[in-house]
Amino acid sequence: MAADPLSHKFAALADPTRRAILARLALGETTVTDLAKPFKMSGPAISKHLKVLETAGLIARGREAQWRPCRIEVNALREVDDWLEEYRRMWEARLDRLEDYLHELQATENKRGRKK
Amino acid sequence: MTATATASAPATDIEKQFTISRTFNAPRDLVWKAWTEAEHLAQWWGPKGCTIRVIKLDFRPGGIFHYAMAFQPGHEMYGRFVYGDIVAPQQLQWINSFSDPEGGVTRAPFGGIAADFPLEVHNTMTLTEEGGKTTLTLRGGPLNATQAERKCFEGMFDSMQQGFAGTFDRLDEYLAKA
Repeated sequence: MAADPLSHKFAALADPTRRAILARLALGETTVTDLAKPFKMSGPAISKHLKVLETAGLIARGREAQWRPCRIEVNALREVDDWLEEYRRMWEARLDRLEDYLHELQATENKRGRKK
Repeated sequence: MTATATASAPATDIEKQFTISRTFNAPRDLVWKAWTEAEHLAQWWGPKGCTIRVIKLDFRPGGIFHYAMAFQPGHEMYGRFVYGDIVAPQQLQWINSFSDPEGGVTRAPFGGIAADFPLEVHNTMTLTEEGGKTTLTLRGGPLNATQAERKCFEGMFDSMQQGFAGTFDRLDEYLAKA
């Protein structure tokens, strides 16, 4: 199956190093060398992660040959965040309805109880 | 996929599950009833503004709850549960998926959802009662997922756990300064 862009993004986010890279990039644009510093990883290993993030559309990289600064794609991350929000909201809304319904049930039972 | 899927032995990683919890001001028996009887489920399970038509509810391990959701007359979507372990009134396991009119498993019938969202989600609901209040905890994870589906769900789950909201706050600050 051809996955949609959102699926690619979630798959890219399923790795702690890549999430850490994004968190770092949220502080501002940076070079691969600076990005690699906090991680005990080789340059090529970091580059591999960046490639995945870039393919998923979560980051963009500058075109300057030597100094290819990475930056976060704000709109792409927002899309991810919105979807997660919606998923959680769906469940919250469902539990809200259950809560209301339980109140109704209890109110009905109380009425019956009083009639007895 | 047959209706005898093993909901009691989930091929899912406990650490990678969606979790949600809520405390209701109601006794456990009542919450249990609301989750397990057709007439009650029809009243609240469906999304807002949607009526639920219960096609079948066979409440036993391996049994199926098959329902239609109608957001507007004549446009029905279907869903189903296949029940796993049932420990009344404290724990219920089931596999949830979108369905067709015949009760088969289908992908989500609308857009906006990730294509690799798992076809089937294994849910475990636990109810505990204390002082007349009932706490519900629900955990859900992908079942029999392809590697792509599993990864997609893990990404969702991990992102949820770590709260991307925090990242955005920092990002907003950064953009405001830039």
